[in-house]
Amino acid sequence: MILGHLGRSRQMALLAAGVLLGREKESALAHAVSCRRCRVELEELRALVSLVERDPLRDGEPSVPLAVLTRSVEREVERILVPGGRPRGWLVVVPAAAAVLVVGLLVPALIARFRPAPPAAATAPPPAVSTEALDRLERNLVREHAARYLTEAGDVLVAVAATSVDCDPPAGRVDLGPVPEQSRDLLARRALLVEADREAVASARAVLDDVERALREVAELPSCVRRRDLEHLRREVDRRQLLMRIRLMTRELEG
Amino acid sequence: MEPQQDKPGSDRELMARLGAGDKGALAPLMERHYRRLYRLALSYLRQPDDALDTVQEAFVKAWQNAARWDGSAEAGPWLSRIAINLSIDRWRRNRRRQATFTPLAEDDHEGALGNGEPPPDRGIRERELRDHLSCALDALPERQRAVVVLRHYQDMSLAEIATTLGMSLGTVKSSLHRALHRMRERLREVRP
Repeated sequence: MILGHLGRSRQMALLAAGVLLGREKESALAHAVSCRRCRVELEELRALVSLVERDPLRDGEPSVPLAVLTRSVEREVERILVPGGRPRGWLVVVPAAAAVLVVGLLVPALIARFRPAPPAAATAPPPAVSTEALDRLERNLVREHAARYLTEAGDVLVAVAATSVDCDPPAGRVDLGPVPEQSRDLLARRALLVEADREAVASARAVLDDVERALREVAELPSCVRRRDLEHLRREVDRRQLLMRIRLMTRELEG
Repeated sequence: MEPQQDKPGSDRELMARLGAGDKGALAPLMERHYRRLYRLALSYLRQPDDALDTVQEAFVKAWQNAARWDGSAEAGPWLSRIAINLSIDRWRRNRRRQATFTPLAEDDHEGALGNGEPPPDRGIRERELRDHLSCALDALPERQRAVVVLRHYQDMSLAEIATTLGMSLGTVKSSLHRALHRMRERLREVRP
């Protein structure tokens, strides 16, 4: 079969990817020897594959002890089992906070202590972690999650304040883009946060409530919004000094 | 050939227990597969936090769907399929979010504010390599990105990739060659 350049180019890529076998491979190699253009292409593609194979992320290690991961999954499973338990979206939220918090706040000793066994010892039981340590960790996770939520809410409010692109100049409307949708996403996360450990975020309650009110207003806006509606919202954010309070509370929650 | 036995502690036995609602099977199954799934998700998403979330989500999903697991298939590829699909979903969500907010990463701050000296050590070279590859992978549509990750980070064969992604062999081949050419073009731009 006679291949055009596209066919040859495809062959060179598959050869570099190491997926050609037998006669196909021989034919591709023979062609590369006789065609300078394809040989250069093959060398470049091989260099790319070699780069990918040296990517440090290939051997990335989870920064969270297996015991913590396992417990988090088991708890989520328990929640699902209990009728009326928390919605499943929570499982996205807690691990996100867990990941960040464990890296930042969990003492390195805990990581060293509970470092997962190598694959050869895969049948060994997972190490035990004290309930107190895990409870403390989870409280910290909730606070970390609240801090992240507030930071992202602050970004939304800043975007609202900075919006100035007209989408319908004669009607005095400006383009908010996906900001209302982002507010709705954040409000969903806020609902999950409320179900979490209330004590852990008690000091942030007032700020969380004010942020929620502001986000609700943003969430109800169309993406092409009347400038005066936006002005009203901006004034309200200023009046409540919301951005400053968000920054202060975020720092407090992050310890 | 004799039917495969569910040896105690084997993936099959653990999956069967999970399907019967035995939560106790979760921990040994996680212990066996979580590192591999983490690396899969990390290669795709390029963010450790997102990769951890995805792994946890994948195991919850595995538990929820274990009763529907086809016992003739291996548990490993089945878990990989869950993890890569969740990674694709998450990547899609992240991209939508980034459409509005693109804060500088800490690394970018260093780069932007640094004194312009050449990279002095291996750590920085590795970071550079990682960033360039992330940039090249970002040039790909989500399925092509998945094919590259499964082939070059998970060392899967074309047939395994086709099964994992529910694609035909021909589509996997096309996706792989298009992806490699596209990555090569992108790398030319970022690594002149």
